[in-house]
Amino acid sequence: MNQAGAILWAQWRTLRNSYPRAGVAWTAAIGAIWYGFWVVAAIAGARLVADPANVPLLKSSLSGAMLLLFLYWQVVPLMMAATGSSLEVRKLQVYPIAVFELFRIEVLLRVTAAVEMMLLLVGIAVGLLFNPALPKWSPLAILPYVLFNLFLAVGLRDLLLRAMARRRIREVIVILLVIGTALPQVLLTRGAPATGSRVRMLIAGDSWPGGPWAAMSSLAQAFHPLPSAAILLAWTLAAAWFGRWQFTRTLAFDAEAAGARDTGPTRRKGLLERFFTLPSVLLSDPLAALVEKELRSLVRSPRFRLVFLMGFTFGVMVFIVPLSIGRGRFFGGNYLTVVSVYSLLLLSEACFWNSFGFDRSAAQIYFLAPVPFSRILIAKNLSALFFIALEITAITAVCVITRMPLSVEKTIEAYAVTGVVTIFLLCAGNLLSIHQARGVNPNTQFRAKSAGRVQAMLVVIYPIAFIPIAMAYLARVVFETDWAFFGVLAFDATVGLIVYNIALQSAVEAAARLKETMIAALSSNEGPIAS
Amino acid sequence: MSELSPAVEVENLRKIYGNKAAVDGLSLTVPRGCFFGFLGPNGAGKTTTIKMLMGLAPPTSGTIRLLDLPMPESALEIKQLIGLVPDESLLFDHLTGGEFIEFVGRIYGLDRPVARERSTELMELFELADDGRKLISEYSKGMRKRVAMAAALIHRPQLYLMDEPFEGVDAVGARLMKDILIEQVRHGATIFLTSHVLEVVERLCDRVAIINDGKLVLAGSMAELREGSETLEDAFVRAVGIDRTAETLDWL
Repeated sequence: MNQAGAILWAQWRTLRNSYPRAGVAWTAAIGAIWYGFWVVAAIAGARLVADPANVPLLKSSLSGAMLLLFLYWQVVPLMMAATGSSLEVRKLQVYPIAVFELFRIEVLLRVTAAVEMMLLLVGIAVGLLFNPALPKWSPLAILPYVLFNLFLAVGLRDLLLRAMARRRIREVIVILLVIGTALPQVLLTRGAPATGSRVRMLIAGDSWPGGPWAAMSSLAQAFHPLPSAAILLAWTLAAAWFGRWQFTRTLAFDAEAAGARDTGPTRRKGLLERFFTLPSVLLSDPLAALVEKELRSLVRSPRFRLVFLMGFTFGVMVFIVPLSIGRGRFFGGNYLTVVSVYSLLLLSEACFWNSFGFDRSAAQIYFLAPVPFSRILIAKNLSALFFIALEITAITAVCVITRMPLSVEKTIEAYAVTGVVTIFLLCAGNLLSIHQARGVNPNTQFRAKSAGRVQAMLVVIYPIAFIPIAMAYLARVVFETDWAFFGVLAFDATVGLIVYNIALQSAVEAAARLKETMIAALSSNEGPIAS
Repeated sequence: MSELSPAVEVENLRKIYGNKAAVDGLSLTVPRGCFFGFLGPNGAGKTTTIKMLMGLAPPTSGTIRLLDLPMPESALEIKQLIGLVPDESLLFDHLTGGEFIEFVGRIYGLDRPVARERSTELMELFELADDGRKLISEYSKGMRKRVAMAAALIHRPQLYLMDEPFEGVDAVGARLMKDILIEQVRHGATIFLTSHVLEVVERLCDRVAIINDGKLVLAGSMAELREGSETLEDAFVRAVGIDRTAETLDWL
């Protein structure tokens, strides 16, 4: 306990020493909105489960609800590339800490990957406790289910991290992962009727009583308690074994060796090299050199590659559901635009919210180089625009190959809408990159933040950036012509460029004022737990 | 544990990255109570070797025994007995120096009050007490090295593994650190350090090994290496085979 206690104490001191700092109010506001929503959902769940009149509903739906909860817990953190806090194994490995001790802490830290689900489970447990039609011990069924999810989350995360540290196969893994995740939705909506009904049955929990979600549901409702308990226990033990096995393998894993590239004297200059030197054709130095450097750095960052790949794979797959079930005409008519904007959101962190964080060691050079700081920001913004355009092109290509609804007009619209949103996001991004600069390890694929916080941030920030776009769509509806739509978009772009110019000047002034704080923030690293 | 066994015993150690051998068939023995300098040019394999000794990187092949215990089989036991001054990126930047030393003490199994007391004393000894409220992120490079060394001492280890401990440390700080290390050797501890500063190695170390391109090119006592009047720098240049003339570039 002494070592675990020491690690948690050091983390507590780390957090305490880091606060108060800029952005704490912002983080708290986002957290309050996001987790507030889940607290309300947990209270609603507790009330629903506590009502004895709802016992038939529980019988038919609790298993399915537990399956959805399981999917959210295990899959959403991977999909948002944000798996919550975890031990800084690299730093702790030098000390004499038993593997079991580290594993125990890591299991507890998996709670941070899905705090939302913990809130819901607490709500359900309270509901079960107060339901007079159920035995008083029924909330205890939640405990092994929580442990099962925690152990499994450790195992899956570690397995994936190691796979993605290996050169060449990591991108393949990402594609398989995202396609695999979207597959149930696709089968549900696009597969043969029998496939769809089978998936629905699985979600309803009717098809397989041997699943951990079904066993937990049965145990909580005291249906065949002993076999249900045995099944749940078996799943929990299997997950514990898997989690421990994967965690131990991660400790022994040499990421440096796995990621090492073959170095020979005759490495040929390929397509990628031509791609990197493209800015020199269009721009003159030093801007061309700066953009070229950005292209090289971003392409070599695993985090950037992950979100870029997700844009045109997962992005295309995930929006098939609303498109297929035909919820209104919006998705049908704006599929490419929706996917493009989604991919823009994925790219935003790497491209502009913290544009100095990914190459933090270069930040000092930017202040020393005989180049106006505005040029540096412009270079970063140009590379962001370049990648965003490339992403939309990739999405368009995927849509053409998979025969998604597409037309020349809609393609132009996707570029125009995404372009205008990007201008406004770049304004905020340049300012945030200076005021909220923080070092990011470019070699990690997954954020340490929980997926929920990332989603919450998107919910709060983006509506503001989308107001100009909403105006354009409104103009199209009111005037019933595309001319009005593109006219408003052109106006938005003009206003956006004026705002961009003002924001850029403000960011440059802030950079001159805050350079010392900025460099210090970019050069510092984490405590024993990356949070 | 045999008292006569070497502190560090490395047999045919190899570490491959991609298609390149960072360490290639290294065999090395460091007797107990020795001040050992491990030298080599940049990229020679020094840091990779020390990472393998620390258990941070598994060897591709070969064996490591530290204090007569096999690594990684007895990793936990070995780590209890050694003190590390690793790469400074392994420090926790948002802790103060005192907090970090106390944390390391507790990790090594010291009770909290003992760890706190020793932490305070080590901060004094390493002349860091005046900056007690500063976070490690605010420390200079030399201060970071000093705090890392202070943390390595807290559990009185038998063997120290140090990667460039004097890098960025000023003359006064370096003198202090050297005195402390000499004192540790006098009390029977073994020190294995890598350094680029040949003068420091020449003054401190009893034995030296030189590695180049992952291979051991020279090993022996300081006297053997110097071969009479030769300085360590001469021996080093000769061993690594650098034959660069003082040519300059036309435009320079």
